[in-house]
Amino acid sequence: MSEIFINGISCISPQETFNNSDFPAEWTDYSGDFLSCREPVYKDHINPTLARRLSRYIKMGVTTALTALKDAGTEMPEAIITGTGLGSTEDNEKILLAMHENQERMINPTHFIQSTHNTISSQIAIMLKCHHYNNTYVHRGFSFESALLDAMLLLREGRSRTALVGGVDALTEGHYINYERISRWRRNRSGSLKMITDQGKGVIPGEGSAHFVLSTDKTETSYASLKALKLVYKPAEPAALTDAASNLLKDGGLLPQDISLLLYGHNGDPEGDRWYQDFHQSLFCGTPSAYYKHLCGEYDTAGAFALWMASMIMRRGRVPSGIMTKEGAAGDIRHLLIYTHHRGDQHVLCLLSRV
Amino acid sequence: MTEQELIDKLKEEIIKQLNLEDQKPEDIDPDAPLFGEGLGLDSIDALEIMVLLEKNYGIKIEDPKEGKKIFFSVRTLAQFILENQKPA
Repeated sequence: MSEIFINGISCISPQETFNNSDFPAEWTDYSGDFLSCREPVYKDHINPTLARRLSRYIKMGVTTALTALKDAGTEMPEAIITGTGLGSTEDNEKILLAMHENQERMINPTHFIQSTHNTISSQIAIMLKCHHYNNTYVHRGFSFESALLDAMLLLREGRSRTALVGGVDALTEGHYINYERISRWRRNRSGSLKMITDQGKGVIPGEGSAHFVLSTDKTETSYASLKALKLVYKPAEPAALTDAASNLLKDGGLLPQDISLLLYGHNGDPEGDRWYQDFHQSLFCGTPSAYYKHLCGEYDTAGAFALWMASMIMRRGRVPSGIMTKEGAAGDIRHLLIYTHHRGDQHVLCLLSRV
Repeated sequence: MTEQELIDKLKEEIIKQLNLEDQKPEDIDPDAPLFGEGLGLDSIDALEIMVLLEKNYGIKIEDPKEGKKIFFSVRTLAQFILENQKPA
């Protein structure tokens, strides 16, 4: 079975992560009730004639896709796979609003054309003139990880040698308002960087786009080896997760004590965060751990930000300040395990090893 | 509204509707072709302008064959609007 390497990455997030070969000098603390991306000047990356038609989430996705390929030195991937929870909600909101305002007549064609969830993958393919495998997954908290799993299967089966995989979600006004009505969000009372410790019911939303070039070929600049990925849907109890993690480690010939660092998806909602506490105490007591959602907020494909963070940690060989929990500093990082879940329903375990 | 006033208004509306961020009204030659050369617009833009005509001026292009002539330039568009707009 082929080993899989992460050879290129790119991330647009609420932090200064884009085109940054290192961690930002400091993390941005947000006082508002949601975290918005720090976006680049898109015309530096996308032809302005094309960019004028693209919505914000497509520009974010296309830009991280192109820069991840550049980072890997890959011109033509053999698969393009995107995960998105919200997809083209932005364009759909515009169409529905226009339909409502104009009595279901005079609908702008541009928003309609861009309004399918697979627009990002297809737009990347059109720009690259790439006729290889092209797919999009829209599975809420499993969206990005389904794309990642698909890519891993393609690579391991030898059907592709390189795959461009991304997770993209942009928060829209309509989505924020709709979910506010069902009390999904909580107020940001003490700054986003204290999101995990200043607990409360609900989450603080965020957004982001991250792309990865996966390959069966190791290069001098490979970030990490992507060893294993496990998706667990609606586990009955925390023990199901520790069983899944034990099996995942066992398959890789590892023991819990071999894990140098755990990267958790805490978001400050005690109901969801208890999963991480149970998991840590059951299997990884004493292992250094870190979290990341206080930097990007909560969204369906926040796992892509976690993989960006994990890839950077493996490449740089150090953990940035401001993300470690009380366990203290991580030492030599050989194996990193990401555990994150979405609303207690969709749980993801992802194992990376140093190359 | 005079033809020149309508041309100036149309330029603003086209820039907004087609999201031509880098264009200013004074950059658009009212007699230059809108499609292919000139502004370099395409078929999707033509549909957007059709929506604009219907929405802002209440004008529907009934015969698509006429489109090429009407959409040739900002001036031909303005002339078509002035000829076909119903009195308020």
